[in-house]
Amino acid sequence: MNLRKALGNRGSTWLLIAGIFIAILAFSLFSAGGNMGTFAITLLSGLLRGMLLFLVAAGLSLIFGLMDILNFAQGAFFMVGAYLAYDVSHPSGGALTAGAAIPDPNLRFIVGLVLAVIVGGALGFVLERGLLRPLYKRPLFQLVLTFGVSIIMLEGIKAIWGGTPYIWTERLVAQDAQFFVFGQQFSVYRLVIIVVGFALMAGVALLLRRTRIGIIIRAGVQDAEMVNALGINVRAVFTLVFVIGCALAALGGGVAAPFLGATLSMGNTFLLASIAAIVLGGLGSYEGTAIASLLVGLGWATMEQFSVRPEVGTVVASITPMLMLVVILLLKPSGLFGEER
Amino acid sequence: MQDGRVTVGRTLRTNWFLGVLVAFLIALPFIVAELTGSSPYGIERGSRIIMRGESAFWMALLIEVFALTVFVMSYNLMFGFTGVISFGHALFFGLGGYTLGMLLQYTALDPNLALVLAVLLTLVLTGLSALLIGLATLRLRGVYFAIFTLAVAEMVWIFVGRWAVTNGEDGFAIDRLPAWIDPSSNRLTLYYIGLFLFVFTFLFIRRIVNSPTGSVFQAIRENEDRARAIGYHTLRYKLVAIIIAGMMAGGAGMLHGILNKKIGPEMFSVSYTVDALLMTIIGGVGTFTGPVIGAAGLHLTETLTRDIVIPLGFTSLRVGDSWLLIQGLIFVIVVMVFPFGLVGTWNRLRMRFRRRPAQAATKSSGKNVKSAG
Repeated sequence: MNLRKALGNRGSTWLLIAGIFIAILAFSLFSAGGNMGTFAITLLSGLLRGMLLFLVAAGLSLIFGLMDILNFAQGAFFMVGAYLAYDVSHPSGGALTAGAAIPDPNLRFIVGLVLAVIVGGALGFVLERGLLRPLYKRPLFQLVLTFGVSIIMLEGIKAIWGGTPYIWTERLVAQDAQFFVFGQQFSVYRLVIIVVGFALMAGVALLLRRTRIGIIIRAGVQDAEMVNALGINVRAVFTLVFVIGCALAALGGGVAAPFLGATLSMGNTFLLASIAAIVLGGLGSYEGTAIASLLVGLGWATMEQFSVRPEVGTVVASITPMLMLVVILLLKPSGLFGEER
Repeated sequence: MQDGRVTVGRTLRTNWFLGVLVAFLIALPFIVAELTGSSPYGIERGSRIIMRGESAFWMALLIEVFALTVFVMSYNLMFGFTGVISFGHALFFGLGGYTLGMLLQYTALDPNLALVLAVLLTLVLTGLSALLIGLATLRLRGVYFAIFTLAVAEMVWIFVGRWAVTNGEDGFAIDRLPAWIDPSSNRLTLYYIGLFLFVFTFLFIRRIVNSPTGSVFQAIRENEDRARAIGYHTLRYKLVAIIIAGMMAGGAGMLHGILNKKIGPEMFSVSYTVDALLMTIIGGVGTFTGPVIGAAGLHLTETLTRDIVIPLGFTSLRVGDSWLLIQGLIFVIVVMVFPFGLVGTWNRLRMRFRRRPAQAATKSSGKNVKSAG
């Protein structure tokens, strides 16, 4: 009884989260065969994957909560980020050659990330202002439109950069620096992403909880019409959130490029995995999205580690996010923090 | 007797265009053959028959159009008439193709028996998977169904693309087709089978939509809460709609498989779902002829403009290579500025111009009814 009091009325939800977390840990330990090094690396990779998912899912979740649009183009923004970061960092490969002006690969990479965020935000602005705004009276067509835009972006990328996947070859300082966990090495770069991811997670939470604009966004999630009636320009807030969401996704793609490369299939994979995360967290709930991204990331990395065994096969890992999505939708479509609808 | 005559008259009036179209399509292989001096039966080369010439080319093109049209019409039944949006309709298309291919190539059954079994099994499998997907997600808001179908189709696509049994990404060829339906020796038969499937699907969908069940479909599309409040079990109606749509899409997949004599994982790919969505929207969402016009128009455009190269500043695009990009652009433009599609916009314009005369007509027909009664 005291436990329930201490946890508040979300108690059962937190217990459920703890249960899922422990189950993933146990399975991960089992699939590592008791090897602590492998186990630790799997967990770190899971956190890393979870952070990337969070960058895509945060935008999806905020946009859905505020405007009731599931942005099917979010995965394509992730991809745009990855291709831009790759292209600027590699003077010899890709379609743009402007990156060659900067001699230092680390600086080039940072410029690539900034470019990815700017282009992602700008494309998001065009998409919201130019294409989605006229359709607010026809929500079904908004869904259809974002699906269409995702195809245009995918095919546009294919037209600019070609269909062959790019593998990252430039070495960054942070990538070369390694540290050891139980005798297994892990690059500092990935650790940095995990830390920066946590910082962004907390930053957006602070923005939502502590600033005026955050209060307006949260009020808009509850009832956008009412906020509008109070004399606040909700449309402008919609645009802002949409741009932030798309820029975050592009940033995610950019930071993922050094180890995932740039491929045409990454967009859809991450889109579906982050949809799995926002559904698990409860559509429109920010805390839910943050926690669920990490859970899905951990689960995914664990399955990837598990599927290395020859009797399992790698196909299991590649369909894991979709499988998780399907299972979550079947068992608890309202998600961890969602309301029953 | 008089009633009978009236119905025949009305049937003729509402269906004359369909009748003319079907008659034209029946005659088309022979017309093309006559015009170009080729034969719809193929050319005899020793003991074998080879399908060459304009007539054979047009038949193959139109069989593909029939398959696509049936597929798009089935999508329209869900999206256009019931308001249920799916992003994974290719799942059913691929299921049809793989059921057919695997029964023919991976079992030792007699080809004719395998064909019959394939039709039955496809209907069962597509219907069952539609039922399960629907039961799982149709209780929830529409967006869940869209997500769920996308995830399932994507999952099956990845799985089939890596499945060693069916050669993974390469797929497999069908060479055990019975001779009477084989498009490389007897294309005319397959052409008529395709035509029959097309006409049957068209009439079937029109019959359903004009039935009381169809009225409930449309009520759900307009306002599901209200339909439920009147007392309809809306879940049951939505399930019926997606089951029928899934079965039809499976049929289209089989026709596509027989024509191409090759089954591959691309049948599950998102590009077929895009086709269905786009062709429905271009033709006109929730109209009978819209999907037909959308599917035929878009597919014929693609095939006939495939080799055109568009110069684009420093680079150039071959239409065939970047067809999906062009399709995506058309997609967005149509959704933005042309929301009712070709047929929908045409109907609206006609309504606007006919409003006055139409009112007069209702009045006079009302009088007629009175005097008749």
